[in-house]
Amino acid sequence: MNPRTDTALPALTAAFLGDDGTTDWVRGVPRRLRTLLDAMPRSARTAVHGAALAVDAYALARTGRRLTALAPGERERLLARLAAHRTALPVLDALKVPVLLAAGTERMLHREAPAARPAADDPPLDCTPSAAWPNRSTADAVVVGSGAGGAMAARTLARAGLRVVVVEEGEHHTTASFAGRTPLDRFTGLYRDAGATIAYGAPPLVVPTGRAVGGTTVVNSGTCYRTPDHVLTRWRTIHGFAAADGLTTHLDEAERTLRVARQPLDVLGENGRLALSGARRLGWAAGPLRRNAPGCQGSCQCVVGCPTGAKQSVQLSVLPDACAAGARIVTAARVRRLLVDRDRPGGPRASGVLVSRPDGSELEILSPLVVVAAGALGTPQLLRRSGLGGHPGLGRNLSVHPAISVAGRFGTPVGGGQAVLQSVAVEELHADGILIEATAAPPGMSSFVLPGVGRALRDALEDTEHLATLGAMVADRPSGRVLGRHGTLLRYALAPRDAGRLLRAQRAMGRLLFAAGAEEVLTGVPHAPRAGDMAQLEALLADVAVRHLHVSAFHPTGTAAAGADEDRAPADPEGRLRGAHGVLIADGSVLPSCPEVNPQLSIMAAALAVTDRWLART
Amino acid sequence: MSARGTEFRETLLGRVRLDGEDRERPVRLDLVARAGTVVLPHRTTRARLTGRVRIAGRADDAEAVGELEISPLARRRIRYRITFTLEGRRLELDGWKSLSPARPVTSMTVLPYSLHEDGRPAGQGTLRFPLGTGLLPFVASFRFPRTSAHDPGRDLAARWDGRPGRTEVWYTTLTDPATGTGVWLHHEVVAPTDGSAAYAHGWAALFPQDGPVRHARFGPVPATGGTDGFTAGDVRVAPGALSGSAGPLTWSLTETPQGPPVRTFPRWSWRHPWLPASHMLPASRCRYTGTVRHGDGEELRLDGAFGASARIYGHGNAARWAWLHADLGGGDVLEIVAAVSTRPGLDRLPPLVFLRLLRGGRTWPGRAERSAVGWAGAGRFTADLALPRWRVTGRAGLRRIRVTVTQPEERTLALDYTDPDGSAAVCRNSESADAEIHLERWWGRWRPEAHWRLAGTAHAEVGER
Repeated sequence: MNPRTDTALPALTAAFLGDDGTTDWVRGVPRRLRTLLDAMPRSARTAVHGAALAVDAYALARTGRRLTALAPGERERLLARLAAHRTALPVLDALKVPVLLAAGTERMLHREAPAARPAADDPPLDCTPSAAWPNRSTADAVVVGSGAGGAMAARTLARAGLRVVVVEEGEHHTTASFAGRTPLDRFTGLYRDAGATIAYGAPPLVVPTGRAVGGTTVVNSGTCYRTPDHVLTRWRTIHGFAAADGLTTHLDEAERTLRVARQPLDVLGENGRLALSGARRLGWAAGPLRRNAPGCQGSCQCVVGCPTGAKQSVQLSVLPDACAAGARIVTAARVRRLLVDRDRPGGPRASGVLVSRPDGSELEILSPLVVVAAGALGTPQLLRRSGLGGHPGLGRNLSVHPAISVAGRFGTPVGGGQAVLQSVAVEELHADGILIEATAAPPGMSSFVLPGVGRALRDALEDTEHLATLGAMVADRPSGRVLGRHGTLLRYALAPRDAGRLLRAQRAMGRLLFAAGAEEVLTGVPHAPRAGDMAQLEALLADVAVRHLHVSAFHPTGTAAAGADEDRAPADPEGRLRGAHGVLIADGSVLPSCPEVNPQLSIMAAALAVTDRWLART
Repeated sequence: MSARGTEFRETLLGRVRLDGEDRERPVRLDLVARAGTVVLPHRTTRARLTGRVRIAGRADDAEAVGELEISPLARRRIRYRITFTLEGRRLELDGWKSLSPARPVTSMTVLPYSLHEDGRPAGQGTLRFPLGTGLLPFVASFRFPRTSAHDPGRDLAARWDGRPGRTEVWYTTLTDPATGTGVWLHHEVVAPTDGSAAYAHGWAALFPQDGPVRHARFGPVPATGGTDGFTAGDVRVAPGALSGSAGPLTWSLTETPQGPPVRTFPRWSWRHPWLPASHMLPASRCRYTGTVRHGDGEELRLDGAFGASARIYGHGNAARWAWLHADLGGGDVLEIVAAVSTRPGLDRLPPLVFLRLLRGGRTWPGRAERSAVGWAGAGRFTADLALPRWRVTGRAGLRRIRVTVTQPEERTLALDYTDPDGSAAVCRNSESADAEIHLERWWGRWRPEAHWRLAGTAHAEVGER
């Protein structure tokens, strides 16, 4: 970091939060922001620093002085003037995201000491850091990735008597380690690129994915939907995904393993209760979600690892079974490429993996079967790095569940106390591809961006306890593409149909919040941030296009889809990669199209089906 | 399967950390790799490994065995799996060099490995190929020996393709160990140079130890050609069987090859008949079982008699020649052809000696050309062709040989040969000749290495015009 950015970024942070020296917690935000940026990929870091320098230059041009030299009042006026430019507003909003993340954590730390929870004992895992793993080893099957798909594949293969090694890029985090650290500290360690994975397009999408033993299941909300029947039918009949046959049984098995049950109302939290009451008043179908968190204590920290061990992420449910059956897990091990024997009779055959350790050294594991479960964003790149990316469909067909958030301000406190992070589903519009879920993330970690800058933003932060947040995700057309071989490079061109769904979802959520008694609704749209009633909201949104929205995306799927059409599907109907023997695809990328619901169960059942069928054939 | 295999030696040095120990120990591997095919870099070749594994203070196993997978380009991997003994435990070393174009030297010389005992980890370490001291011996150790996958029957198939001016011969000589009687069966196809019809003929001869030599001719009959051996009337040579009759002689023998082929002349000369003629043995020696009858009721019953069949294909007989087939026992064989060509120019040269000594599974001299032409004439083997005694001497590498063949007149049969061009030659043949062979090796001075004396069991002939 050069000296200019070193001073520009803290000054900009102070300006954003209207730091006038009266609030203690604001002082610690720049340091925490720096920690967060250090964990981000270089491109994101450079963009943030560049934006900070640009604002500094703007200050110099307007006032003849740099941001650091301005008094708090002057800084705030300058930023307000900048925010008045409609073109600059989205940039400021993007800059605000990491600032809010850091600020939320600092504020929380100043308000309450991190609760020292009794650490639960996790079921034992056979984890070995890559530094302690031998440079040369062999296995009957290597599973790349330990998320929902990888864990299930590993368990299935290990139970069949194979020597299985699971290779995971992330670290193993125990429940005790979650309980002892702040959410932001966990956030930077648990997410790929510190959560700053961007899909480029109009609008750009933030696609956070997990990176740890357990994959994204460590940081998801625990919502467990079965794959809808019409989706299964589509996969089977239109796409020719043979593994979808009998997927119902595998879904049952996945549910049993994760101990999925409907969330009891006792720790649901005010956010969920408001969503339920709003839906009841509107006569909309709604109810608590089915989750994999028996005995949830309402910590509301699912997205940074459950600190009580209630959420049955796969490292607590599936991987212990796999390890009990003999599977071993190598952590901090990034698979650089699959080893491929190109001179085998019948065509190329995978023969293992080349893995790099954090210190740059390498290890290799030879294995006649490689199960690729590196996630829908990682799998295509890994196959390309391995020279197996020749299929034109690889990396295409990316569905991501574009999502937006809307908040409602209530007269009574909403936050504080026990709450389930994602508690209630409103399924009124689900048939139209819109699923509304009441979602209350830890401070700053919501995909909802608070409006305003300066003192207004700080006041909004101080008032977050009165905000209820709803999120809506839409079943999208496969409009995205994973590019390149290294880093995460995504393009996503939101389909007009899906853009319409997002705008419709925004209205529906506003309506729901007003029905629940919200005093005002915060739209998350920079230039039209607040509405006092439904009519005002409709008027505001009339002027809003989808590019104005702050869109997040979750649940990437479909980038190495299985299907009968050889020209379109990189994997065959049973999930085996076309063009090479001995490679199974067993993660979200194998799903032929958007599952239209939170996909953990679908991915687990598909991985089970793919590996089961492979075992049956051999 | 290719006709040649690959052999090489490799020494690897490195360290190992055995499970349960807190320090690393030096390791040394001295390996010999033998593959059944020629190692090609773009293919995958499997080789057997034998050698010695030493772990300082813990193991020294000279009986280590294993497998090597050599695939530098196709799989970018050279994998070693070696089983050895460490204090009574059987350990398996499993490791591979992983070849990277970005780091060619390092990746070709560094071999990380793991040790396993019954599938459980027992240690790990890294071996390195010592480039400074190991490269030259490694490269120099490469050999591409012929593999044993040879079908003697294939060499019995007729070579003559209908062209005029060619002679093709199948002849078999053997000695009955019970009576000491020598047998000579000669089968010949001659395609005259003038284009007249080719004919097949031959003869059979018996060389009793204590009686006169008896022989009889068969044919000539029109040559048919294109068979898997020789056919002329009831006379047949086929893989594994010889039968026929000539005058009072009748024979029916089975032939069982017992050794590798002997290329008396350079191998290429048999495949591409550019020399005036070429000679080879489909098998260095064979066992013969069956009977050879003479019309007067005499019957020779053979049961595993040793001998050999030979093949000649060319333009005709030499101007002068001598031939020896000596079965030295224990599978060792000496085959000599010394000849002066009839071609203008070549006929002015001294006899070219083609000498092949098969001993202990190896052939000396290494190349067939070596004894005939030496190094541009220098160091070639010499022959003194005369009767009743002829000699061949020569030196190649650190060995020299002296062969003396005696063909007593009473045990020698003189026969007239006719070349395709109609010229005649006389061949004096004995299947009960004597031979004395001295082999010496240089070690500070010439020291005797081996000495063979064959009394009446050598097969020899001398031809002249």
